[in-house]
Amino acid sequence: MTKLVSGDGRTHIQSQLMRESLQDRGVLSKTESEHDLHIFPDVSLVSIGGQSIFDRGKSAILPLVDELAEAKRHHKMVIGVGGGTRVRHTVSIAMDLGLPTGGIAQLVGAMEELNAILLNALLAPHGSMPMQRDHFWDLPLYFDAGITPIAISVPPFHLWEPPPLEGAVPMHGSDFGMFQLAEVLGMKQLIFVKDEDGLYDKDPKHHPDAKRYATIDLDELLANPPPTNILDEELYRTWAEAKNLTRVVIVNGLRPGMLTRALAGEDVGTVITRKVKS
Amino acid sequence: MSERRTIASPLADSPLTGAPTSSIEYRPVAVMPDVRVVKIGGQSVMDRGRQSLFPILDEIIEARRRGVQIVVLVGGGTRARHIYAIASELEMPTGVIATLGKYIPMQNARMLQMLLAKHGGVFILPDDFEKLPLYMQLGCIPVMSGMPPFGYWEKHEEGSRIPPHRTDAGVFLSCEFLGVRRAIFIKDEDGLYTDDPKKNPSATHIPRITAKELVAMNLPDVVVERKVVEYLPRARWCKELQVINGLRPGNVLAALEGQDVGTIVSA
Repeated sequence: MTKLVSGDGRTHIQSQLMRESLQDRGVLSKTESEHDLHIFPDVSLVSIGGQSIFDRGKSAILPLVDELAEAKRHHKMVIGVGGGTRVRHTVSIAMDLGLPTGGIAQLVGAMEELNAILLNALLAPHGSMPMQRDHFWDLPLYFDAGITPIAISVPPFHLWEPPPLEGAVPMHGSDFGMFQLAEVLGMKQLIFVKDEDGLYDKDPKHHPDAKRYATIDLDELLANPPPTNILDEELYRTWAEAKNLTRVVIVNGLRPGMLTRALAGEDVGTVITRKVKS
Repeated sequence: MSERRTIASPLADSPLTGAPTSSIEYRPVAVMPDVRVVKIGGQSVMDRGRQSLFPILDEIIEARRRGVQIVVLVGGGTRARHIYAIASELEMPTGVIATLGKYIPMQNARMLQMLLAKHGGVFILPDDFEKLPLYMQLGCIPVMSGMPPFGYWEKHEEGSRIPPHRTDAGVFLSCEFLGVRRAIFIKDEDGLYTDDPKKNPSATHIPRITAKELVAMNLPDVVVERKVVEYLPRARWCKELQVINGLRPGNVLAALEGQDVGTIVSA
């Protein structure tokens, strides 16, 4: 039964949070529990690197498209893409011009969308469609129809990008955007397709003795972070505070078959896991 | 296998995260520094209805008539709390709750637009922000939801399901983008108190305080969203938050004309 409550000059609807300040930590904790609803627990999110795959052109992209065309017949997945070198060029120019952080955030998404259009043009004959920003409720329809959606990977913070911890470059890029999508929808796993076999303790492009992590727990990784990381720091920061995603996989998209094995749940490349409270 | 084909730029090899590594000298440009961004509280003002709201709008209209460029953002209030409570019970993820939280401030913005229409009130969406110069030159009063457009991408924060960036954050971040020094919040209290004055009559008023001092007080409750207090010290442009009591005649006009009324929280 809905009750309207007045008497302090305001009209309230009766609820647990009625009249309460949403800054009050005691009030906030009443809204929390250890579980979130998992909306799409059987779906994998696949992020295809901008610099690592798309910037290499045809010889890297086409074999991956073939693999995706086959894998999509067996696995429910959503695909996102990175922007690569054009993003870096955009940010370089925007920084030199002195544009505000939010202004830079507003610009970068366009460069990733270009890769999304290319990928969709190649994958469309096998059944793919660009998904509108947050049309997640269409996903059951896509999967029923055998269509793989291609999502926008940068988050929609745009002009409202929060001030970064350091410098002026926006903190919330496509790695974060992909993470958040998998997290909020309660997905099975997030797979990053890169041009390295996984995450290493040193940059393997410069250190031949670099060692790859096969599987590593998030807490362990945060306690001993490698000096360079193939994924954005913001992804790890957000994951540490998150509740749902248990598995992020990094595979080499230049090696045919790795992505397919990751989609099947095999431990390939680097698997970063996180225990969640059960 | 072909190599990565990169465009030469100072950030070509940058991971774009973490500490700045490039040689670019960043000299920021203020986008529209003379605009006043003002928030009308949801629970504190809108839910009180006509008696509280109309005098506030009269002062906003008067300030606009005197040439002050104003953008009005608005909060949610009790209906937002109601949907947050039900959604929390259903264990919805924070990003879903943030998306639900967009709708009520938007209703409130539409209400304000209808009331301000004959004085130039126009309802705008985040995508219309790039047209602000036009609205300002025409003497309009743009009205928008205060909720930042994060929606499903809103992060979960330890110990709460409620989205940490709500309409106060939207006001602050709007100022930060526009290069505006001071964000103005119209509420139903004279600013910051040592405790919630609605519940604790011995709470005392704080006229001026730094964000650092405020954090150090570790209050169980604060009058502006914690995220805004967290961001203030590292903001580039928005260095002050002004919280005023809109129920006291004259405060809104004074604040819009740049006077120090209410509480000022500075970086």
